[in-house]
Amino acid sequence: MNSNNKTLPDKNGFFGDYGGKFVPETLMYALEELESTYKKLKDNPEFKDQFYKDLSEFVGRPSPLYFAERLTKHYGTGSIWLKREDLNHTGAHKINNTIGQILLAKHMGKKRIIAETGAGQHGVATATVAARLGLECHIYMGSEDVQRQSLNVYRIKLLGAQVHAVDSGSATLKDALNEALRDWVTNVDDTYYIIGSVTGPHPYPMIVRDFNSVVGEELINQSKELFNSMPNAIVACVGGGSNAMGAFYPFINIKETRLIGVEAGGEGVETGEHAAPLNDGTPGVLHGALSYLMQDDTGQVKGTKSVSAGLDYPGVGPEHSWLKDSGRAEYVAVSDNAALKAFHEVSEFEGIIPALETAHAFAYLDTLMKEFDKKANIIVNVSGRGDKDINTVAEIDGIKF
Amino acid sequence: MNRLTKTLSDLKDNNKKALVAYLVAGDPDISSTIELMNLFVESGVDVIEIGVPFTDPIAEGPIIQKAHDRALKNNISLESIFNMVGEFRKHNNETPLVLMGYLNTFIFYKKLIEENHNNAIDSILVVDIPGELNLKDYGINSSNINTISLISPTTKINRIESIAKNSTGFVYYVTLRGVTGASNLDVNEISNNVEEIKKHASVPTLAGFGIKSVEDAKLLSDCSDGIIIGSSIVQMIEESSKSKEFDRIGNYLTEIKKAIL
Repeated sequence: MNSNNKTLPDKNGFFGDYGGKFVPETLMYALEELESTYKKLKDNPEFKDQFYKDLSEFVGRPSPLYFAERLTKHYGTGSIWLKREDLNHTGAHKINNTIGQILLAKHMGKKRIIAETGAGQHGVATATVAARLGLECHIYMGSEDVQRQSLNVYRIKLLGAQVHAVDSGSATLKDALNEALRDWVTNVDDTYYIIGSVTGPHPYPMIVRDFNSVVGEELINQSKELFNSMPNAIVACVGGGSNAMGAFYPFINIKETRLIGVEAGGEGVETGEHAAPLNDGTPGVLHGALSYLMQDDTGQVKGTKSVSAGLDYPGVGPEHSWLKDSGRAEYVAVSDNAALKAFHEVSEFEGIIPALETAHAFAYLDTLMKEFDKKANIIVNVSGRGDKDINTVAEIDGIKF
Repeated sequence: MNRLTKTLSDLKDNNKKALVAYLVAGDPDISSTIELMNLFVESGVDVIEIGVPFTDPIAEGPIIQKAHDRALKNNISLESIFNMVGEFRKHNNETPLVLMGYLNTFIFYKKLIEENHNNAIDSILVVDIPGELNLKDYGINSSNINTISLISPTTKINRIESIAKNSTGFVYYVTLRGVTGASNLDVNEISNNVEEIKKHASVPTLAGFGIKSVEDAKLLSDCSDGIIIGSSIVQMIEESSKSKEFDRIGNYLTEIKKAIL
């Protein structure tokens, strides 16, 4: 297997064995239309100018690469650097992708925008860009997530979008995706579906990765500037995997940089109660792509468990499955408890309250930093800020407002 | 010649339209499903489509989704469905049986499908693969299982030909943009598209998704080789499953069969 490969996906949308287009026939045309539009636009100078202009003026990019002085001292080994995606407008990396996709929607003349959301960050980021263009916007969200992310639900509504709570199945992110796909099948002629992660049928994993790759591209320059070498490792949390993929992709051919994805270990990978398909799943088809999947012994998709709504998903983007099998990236998992501990520590050490998703990446530093000496530079992708998680964490800590 | 091919060609020879009826295996339980399959046959159903329950059935509307959930609560797997079909085949070796479901389940049970004991199953319809492809493309080799491919109102004309040619059971024309059980039928569009498909297909073209009444059934059978009814039956199964009195379903199917002849 050749892992020195940035030419994927192939023409059928596969990254090695993973990916593809597994959707009802009604959507095949929409996927082809999207792919041909994207191919036409992605290297078009005007399109690129508009994308980077929006990222700069509306999102506030580039996001800083920030030296985490107290965390570095705490571990006493290598230097820890934080890629501050939490400072983006709307508070997470999700906006990078929606800025790009809304330009595609506009170019295709679509009048109606739909999206799924787990933690609500992608819902907020989608509602934001839709509002900016005055487009009708519908966000699908599992009813369990509507409960635990009520702050983001209200933000989405403030931005003029409608939130549809989804009760079917496990009432979380995967069910929101099912419902968004059903909406798309029904309204395919005038509707653009902004998928929020590097999941779903081809060409979405490629498109979402490309728009999010601005993160990794900035990291290459910032690393040269700040420590005059490439980082020894980049650590990012992985649910569907968009923040990790955006950070990893430009580094695929930079072999001195270890790429480490951290999945949601829930109650512990050994208990089976988690959301870590790359650690404890097998290949299967969900939401249009073949990838590692949590499934039971009859081929049904298993329920997941994670304190973090944004990681609570039984599947993962197909390119991550490919990076895992080819050995180019490493995938580990940390438990809810470890993530919660990191959530508090990072808040106190650095004055940054990270998203619970991001806290998983931080939690892995306990293990990882032992592997490095003082000269090493480690980057943590701070995928989002934790304001949205205050209610969840307060409840766990037994605090009532 | 397998049962499906034979049944459809006999109907065609007699200038009759096919009635395909759908239910979800194990909804409300396996013994009821067998009972319902027998009832379907008695009521004039030509082909039975057995829904294979899946946790994430993205092409289904709320009625069939709920049926999948009910079946999964009974721990229905493809293995138990093959056993159920074996039971049914003990007294019926004529009615064609089609499994309809999602790729993940079929990949998972590759061996079981390849063995297809006693040729119990005649065809497999995979909802979530491109119409040009069939199970062989996913490493499942079973020579006695026909391919049924879906074509929808959004399928571009250049693909209609290759999908129609890929179908060896029948071409399943999805009559609307939407999930199963939706209600936005456009008869003109359906009639034009079915005509286009028929230019390329060597097997019959049947219409399904969104047929809710005897009138819909009549209308669509006029412009196709037959019709597929799902959600409205599944709804009735849900309503009668407590009393297990399924007579109403039999009457409904008999009425439809009369209307489409």
